[in-house]
Amino acid sequence: MSEETITLNVTRYRHEKDRAPFIQSYQVPYREDWVVLDALNHIKDELDGTLSYRWSCRMGVCGSCGMMVNGEPKLTCSAFLRDYRPGEIRVEPLENFPVIRDLVIDMSGFMDKLTSVQPWIIREKEKPVSEGEYLQTPDQLDAYQQYSQCINCLLCYSACPIFGLETDFIGPAAIALAYRYNLDSRDEGSHRRNDVITDVNGVWECTFVGECSVVCPKHVDPAAAIQKLKVETVSGMVRGFLMPWSRK
Amino acid sequence: MNHETIEHDVIIIGAGGAGLRAAIEASGKGASVGVVCKSLLGKAHTAMAEGGMAAALTTADPRDNWEMHFRDTIRGGKMLNNWRMVKIFTQEAPDRVNELEEWGALFDRTDDGRILQRNFGGHQYARLAHVGDRTGLEMLRTLQNHGIHQGIEVYMECTVVDLLMDGGKAAGAFAYWRDSGTFVQFRAKAVVLATGGLGKCYTITSNSWECTGDGQALAYRAGAELIDMEFVQFHPTGMVWPPSVRGLLVTEGVRGEGGVLRDKDGKRFMFDYIPEMFAGEYAETEEEAKRWRPGVPEGPDARRPPDLLTRDVVARAIRAEVRAGRGSPHGGAYLDIASQASEAQIKKKLPGMYHQFMQLASLDITKEYMEVGPTSHYVMGGVRVDPETCSTSVPGLFAAGEVAGGLHGANRLGGNSLTDLMVFGRRAGAGAAEYAGALSAMPGVNPDQVRDIERLALAPFEESGTENPYEVMQDLQKMMEHDSGIVRAKEELADGLGKLRTLKERSVKVRVEGNRQYNPGWHYALDLHNLIMVSEAITLSALHRDESRGGHTREDFPESSPELEKVNTVVRNRDGEMAWEHVTREPLPGDLQELLSHPHLEEPN
Repeated sequence: MSEETITLNVTRYRHEKDRAPFIQSYQVPYREDWVVLDALNHIKDELDGTLSYRWSCRMGVCGSCGMMVNGEPKLTCSAFLRDYRPGEIRVEPLENFPVIRDLVIDMSGFMDKLTSVQPWIIREKEKPVSEGEYLQTPDQLDAYQQYSQCINCLLCYSACPIFGLETDFIGPAAIALAYRYNLDSRDEGSHRRNDVITDVNGVWECTFVGECSVVCPKHVDPAAAIQKLKVETVSGMVRGFLMPWSRK
Repeated sequence: MNHETIEHDVIIIGAGGAGLRAAIEASGKGASVGVVCKSLLGKAHTAMAEGGMAAALTTADPRDNWEMHFRDTIRGGKMLNNWRMVKIFTQEAPDRVNELEEWGALFDRTDDGRILQRNFGGHQYARLAHVGDRTGLEMLRTLQNHGIHQGIEVYMECTVVDLLMDGGKAAGAFAYWRDSGTFVQFRAKAVVLATGGLGKCYTITSNSWECTGDGQALAYRAGAELIDMEFVQFHPTGMVWPPSVRGLLVTEGVRGEGGVLRDKDGKRFMFDYIPEMFAGEYAETEEEAKRWRPGVPEGPDARRPPDLLTRDVVARAIRAEVRAGRGSPHGGAYLDIASQASEAQIKKKLPGMYHQFMQLASLDITKEYMEVGPTSHYVMGGVRVDPETCSTSVPGLFAAGEVAGGLHGANRLGGNSLTDLMVFGRRAGAGAAEYAGALSAMPGVNPDQVRDIERLALAPFEESGTENPYEVMQDLQKMMEHDSGIVRAKEELADGLGKLRTLKERSVKVRVEGNRQYNPGWHYALDLHNLIMVSEAITLSALHRDESRGGHTREDFPESSPELEKVNTVVRNRDGEMAWEHVTREPLPGDLQELLSHPHLEEPN
């Protein structure tokens, strides 16, 4: 009996010679424990060394290997072939981003979005390192820990219909990151961050589709962060209007 | 031919913990800084470090101090460490943890809000600041955000092919953009290597594709010395099943949180493997080991379990159990946290491990044993550096982190790596900024050298090539696993050097298809030169160390030699051939020597 195989239909695009992306099919061995990334590595090592895609850790930590798998944004290192068998598997570059080559997307604007929310601890007055750490109880840590788990994999941007239409939208991951710092008991800078996230490209762009939280492999729940920020910035605005001296 | 040229005072190669920390320091000292990295910012291998960063913060146990950390590090390194590096390292470690915390890093906390510390192999006290089992990722994220905020330029998906030299001095780096395949020259007054490790020399490794020994090879070709290259750490607990994830790391934190190793019949075997050097310091019976609890300072009647011995010892023990026919079904040992901690504790303290096994092996670690075995994880050896400034023997060239050697001696303690990145990343950044500040003019670029690098880099596109780069790489990995791996012998090492000569010949005949744009075959072809070079350094150094010590185990010389304890192996390029020598190490001064025999257990205060 011949070895069982599975078909991967992979989007190829090499702008120097292809007028438009096209689909190339590969037969790869089917293994119970293989993920889509294993199949792509098999293609690259054994069948077609020209296929391009990003990956690194193969354990869901680095967030490099996001692609569309049968139309859904996935980390290919955690998408098992067995979940798609016996059908064929369609592998495409992440949606909503320009394609550099094959499955590699251009994410150059993303870093600027992250930086724009000032993702660091802002203090009225800095403390010298020699004084030791800021105190933070386990409860205070739990308040924001969930929002700190983002691995910058961009699946949420790929799932977000608003970002698809309006690429200036700072997007789910950046807003969740802002919320993580706002909630951090060591931080005193939410008013500065909120100026950015209530700007025209900030939280108000979101119409609460919620797909970002559905696809997040780390359960960061950016949709919740966005909704909570909307509520807080509104009450903050009201408070700022009534009590202009209270800023955090 | 004119290439794109980018100028900075300091160029840093690598954007892991050491590279970013160096960048922050150099930039803080007023230097214009560029960081060049192979992958995207934030994806470096540091992100995969799980357990924590070691520092004598004394939160967990007031008896701890830098002297005890010094003692543990040198004993863990089987006396081969450069003591000046260890002294700087252990003294500065607490400030580096607190600094990261101040920049926003999240750490698990004690009830009263201080940084919580966990136990780890070879550390006498609970010493590792951590956040769950994703400490490296949090460190990298914090440095990334802090660094960008300081105005550091990052050149992503850009691979350095060779260092540019002006006479004997570093003058920058010659690289290609991975997406376009076009060349770029980075001109700089000083260059910092922060490229990490070389796990991809081996078939079974916890390392990502990026760890191809680039920095060690770049330094060697530029004329710098490599030290202690025979010492490769095989982490005792890599995943062994299923095959597609073989080698992936299972954090030592599992044992730090109470996990124990068992043979196929469920017997705890580590009691049989306590080395003489550590006799009396570890629990000798299962009954005693059960009295020890993670997070509670140990007393004389509840010494730590031998499952927390240093990595070299545990890796060899697992290998011996498997060889004796007592291994688990897929050729490893069982690692059991299920019977040692509650489901809630496991999910809270080791969430990454829980999900990793659930997802990749369909195994619930709160209920079942894991199967684990050794995986190549870290190289103790590396570029020889000055302890104070991290300068190398090549003027203008600095190195920090895994790419540098000396700190860890023959075996690295878990948790010392992340701290290494911060302590010496900072020092290398300062050293490079100071060196660059003292140079009045940008070093020159030698057009002949650029032409040579370019010609070699493009050779794989020539029609005459016959070899497939993937096949050459796989053959190299197999050779290293077999001849220069976890247990070695003279004949196999000598044989391995012969195979390396053949592999080198094959590597210059590789042929890749397609063009230069994002061409992974071409990237492999270029990585091969570095992998082969560092493999030769490992094998040559291992052949000439006729003893077993730390990460270097010789079947034909199973004991440690008191004579070889005094020397470190140094390799360098001599007229195109790799030359080795044993150099005598500066001995420990008396007061530090005394620390090593410090009584290991005192009554808790």
